[in-house]
Amino acid sequence: MKPRKVKHLDPDGLLADNVARIVSVRLDELCGFMPQAADPQEVTALHDLRIAAKRLRYVLELFAPSFGPYAATAAKKARKLQDLVGEIHDCDVTLPRVEALLAELRERDAAEVRQLAGDATDLDAALAAGAPHAASFRGLESLDIYLRARRDLLFERFLEQWHELERQGFRTRLEFALAERSSDPEDFTSRSHDGNGAVPTDDLASDAPA
Amino acid sequence: MAKARDIPGIDGRMTFREAGREAVAVRAREVFEHAGGVLDTDDIERVHDMRVATRRLRAVLEVFEAAFDRAEHRAVLRDVKRLADALGARRDPDVQLAALEALARSMPEEDQPGLDVFAQRIRVDQAQGNLTLAAALQATKEHDLAGRVRALVAAPADADPERAA
Repeated sequence: MKPRKVKHLDPDGLLADNVARIVSVRLDELCGFMPQAADPQEVTALHDLRIAAKRLRYVLELFAPSFGPYAATAAKKARKLQDLVGEIHDCDVTLPRVEALLAELRERDAAEVRQLAGDATDLDAALAAGAPHAASFRGLESLDIYLRARRDLLFERFLEQWHELERQGFRTRLEFALAERSSDPEDFTSRSHDGNGAVPTDDLASDAPA
Repeated sequence: MAKARDIPGIDGRMTFREAGREAVAVRAREVFEHAGGVLDTDDIERVHDMRVATRRLRAVLEVFEAAFDRAEHRAVLRDVKRLADALGARRDPDVQLAALEALARSMPEEDQPGLDVFAQRIRVDQAQGNLTLAAALQATKEHDLAGRVRALVAAPADADPERAA
């Protein structure tokens, strides 16, 4: 998903003014994927929401100290959201691969069992038990069930998390934090993404899909 | 996981352009410092560290896009994305295998053959990912990505204020 354009940036203007403009657009972009992404079938919208959360988080993690205190909180909340939706995305990516492998092994085993039957007038049911991958199906089915159930559970957590963000006034409070800019230019500092900056997270180090 | 460095000197008196140069320069150095040994599948943290550093570089390139010459920035960002994709092609199977192994430990014995079959598929992806990464690292050298990033942050640019961040 391409990021939405941020208009009226001034490269020779003050850093703080430009960053506030970027955060504002990224916030709007994130919120714009709801309520569509609240539909469990809308996998693409959810994926795009995750990317939008990531972009918001990146810019907040860089410059949260320069704005009101809620900016740092919002960075953590954006990360939490991104991580959770990333776990759902992992299920969405892995599940079709497991299904495809199951289908492939079934096809191959059916062909093999047919071969074993040779010129028989009908298939001996006992031959099916000797299918090359007979022992593998149970584990793959278990994995399939695990991924489906986990996806459903995590999606419920996502909805809860989003509603909690709304209840807490995430958007309004972050917009307010952008206006609470420090008057001391020394406070406008980007230190690092992790640990020695203002946002005590290990930021971009998660394995959530990029 | 390697920690990101401070980006020294950034404060509210700087322009967006000046801050962008500082940020990209620091983050780019971190990427190339982590390039050693990433093809070693026995030490999967190396590829993780370089991937994290690449994400950080990509993040600042995207945030500060308007601070740079449009064509140079676009070319650098494209190559950083390619490198990031290649690192992901290696790292994702590493992570999937670790997760599958953890899951397998809590599943009954009867499920193990099926989980092993899936793990074998992921190992094929891992080997393919290593080839993809090797090619991407070679391309990064041949296209002198490090030198182009240095040129990007050194070059004075008259960016169009209307363009995207």
